[in-house]
Amino acid sequence: MKVYLAIARVTARSVLAYRGAYALGIAGSCFQLLATTALWTALLAGGASIGGFDLPEMKAYLLVGFATGLIGTLVGDWVLANRIRDGQVALDLVKPIDTQKVFFAQNCGGLGLEIVFIAVVSGVFVLLAGPMPGPADGWLFAASLAFVLPIRFGITFLTTMLVFWTENHHGVVWARDGVAAVLSGAIVPLAMMPGWLQSAAAVLPFAGLTSTPALIYLGKAPNPGLLIAIQAGWAVALWYLARFAFRGASRQITIHGG
Amino acid sequence: MKHLLRRRFTTMTAVDAIDLSIEPGEALAYVGPNGAGKSTTIKLLTGIVEPTGGEVRVGGIVPHRDRQANARQIGVLFGQRTQLWWDLPVRESLALLRDMYDISPTDYQRQLDRFDEVLDLGALLPVVTRKLSLGQRMRADLACALLHQPKIVYLDEPTIGLDIAVKDRVRDFLRQLRAEGTTIMLTTHDLADIEGTCERIVIIDDGKIIYDGGLAEVKDRYARERRVHLQLGTPITAADLAARFPAAAVTPGEAHGEFTISFDKSLLTAGAVLTGVAQLAEVVEVRIDEPAIEDVVRRVYAGELNITPGPADAAGAHPPSASPTSAHPAGTHAASARAAYAAGAADARAAGVPGAEDVTGAAGDVDPAEEASR
Repeated sequence: MKVYLAIARVTARSVLAYRGAYALGIAGSCFQLLATTALWTALLAGGASIGGFDLPEMKAYLLVGFATGLIGTLVGDWVLANRIRDGQVALDLVKPIDTQKVFFAQNCGGLGLEIVFIAVVSGVFVLLAGPMPGPADGWLFAASLAFVLPIRFGITFLTTMLVFWTENHHGVVWARDGVAAVLSGAIVPLAMMPGWLQSAAAVLPFAGLTSTPALIYLGKAPNPGLLIAIQAGWAVALWYLARFAFRGASRQITIHGG
Repeated sequence: MKHLLRRRFTTMTAVDAIDLSIEPGEALAYVGPNGAGKSTTIKLLTGIVEPTGGEVRVGGIVPHRDRQANARQIGVLFGQRTQLWWDLPVRESLALLRDMYDISPTDYQRQLDRFDEVLDLGALLPVVTRKLSLGQRMRADLACALLHQPKIVYLDEPTIGLDIAVKDRVRDFLRQLRAEGTTIMLTTHDLADIEGTCERIVIIDDGKIIYDGGLAEVKDRYARERRVHLQLGTPITAADLAARFPAAAVTPGEAHGEFTISFDKSLLTAGAVLTGVAQLAEVVEVRIDEPAIEDVVRRVYAGELNITPGPADAAGAHPPSASPTSAHPAGTHAASARAAYAAGAADARAAGVPGAEDVTGAAGDVDPAEEASR
């Protein structure tokens, strides 16, 4: 345990060394947040509501979406993917450590800076974008927020395993991020999607990334306990699925050049 | 406990079986041309890859099954890669390894002091990895590989890309490790790394061990040629010298009065050559080439030298000195070898090696129990 904490700590320091570069990336996401806010402001002008969301609620939804979209991404899949692609993962395998836990620790190492960015952007957004509701239940929201990191890690780790076969990360990332953006409710709330897609999204892990925390924040979840339980179930299931996949995938380590 | 340490592994690469055992405290040079299967062997021994057949055992542990337990007893250096954290000072990387291997503060400090002494590590501790030169990086990486005082060390090209001074330093360090009784498996293309460190050499080519024996013996058997370079003060022709030494080849050098006499050491001695030349001409300068292992290996790679195992090697490709291993029941080896062929064929197909199908036939010989256990 001590060593994984140390890895998280060391990662946090590495991340800080590149805070400028990360801040630039965040600026890009902020722009996206502003654009979608402008769009919804136009759509929901004059007290209209779509899919049960009025403008202040929609703004809060978008902000929660921005925050959850950032969690667990600063030190994300590219760290692992690059290590697999260039074979550096071999060095992790000759250490008495669990590779999956190492990457989770690294993932957590980025959390500090992520929280700083979220706090700054949220503060500015609330000031600029005007009134929006606070969390309906702070504790439930916090609980559901806590599962975002492990779920994202599980999905990321699992899909990154494909790099062992594809030897290329970009296609894998694009496919995954495209699917996740839609099914997590990060683009539009799931409530606005066709019924069959809603039902599918409800049982898939992606909803736990954005939709669940956002709905709990707004108090729009009919059964928040169940949603959090689904999140927890996925967090655990993905951990073991990824573990199983890694065992198979690491056999794929090719022996280039003898 | 240490005496119980015995390693016996049967590993397979693209097309054939490797049957190799290393005794505790032994220093083994593992050489072969690019793509021969050296790194594959190390990956099998470290548990990074799982053998598709046969058996691998390190200190009683099956590496790919107990990867972490195995990792505690080994130290690994891949010369072409670094295990240091790119954005952090060397000190931080070492501290992380300390936590990884649960090294006590006293042991940790003692190791740092020692690395400072032999590798001049102290100066590197505060430097961020990405700012290290290649030589500095290799010194720091050596420290990383050996920090937890592993009893078995795999070094994959530890001197690659280094300048002479750093190479010497690394080699000195290897000799010191060797003297302390660390088991060393050294893979290198720079054969000067071997001399003075390893007493046993295994040459592999095409996934097959083509020589396994003492370094001195390999030189003795295959590096028989001696060369005496002479600078003579008296005018004399190559033909005169050749007539004097019918068993030797005489070639004139570039400058006037320079000659090189090459001969088989079993037919002639350097002393006899010198005495003979002195009777014909005044000898101004003499240089005698030591037989270098490099010459032998170069000729093996080039396919000029067909090394055929002697009677000792034929007993199972073991060095004559490793008597405890020879005590192994012969049947175990045979079974592993069969399994290895089958796996070899599978691997070869994956790697796209032509001719792999030729070996698949051997798969039928695999012990069903062993097949099932995979």
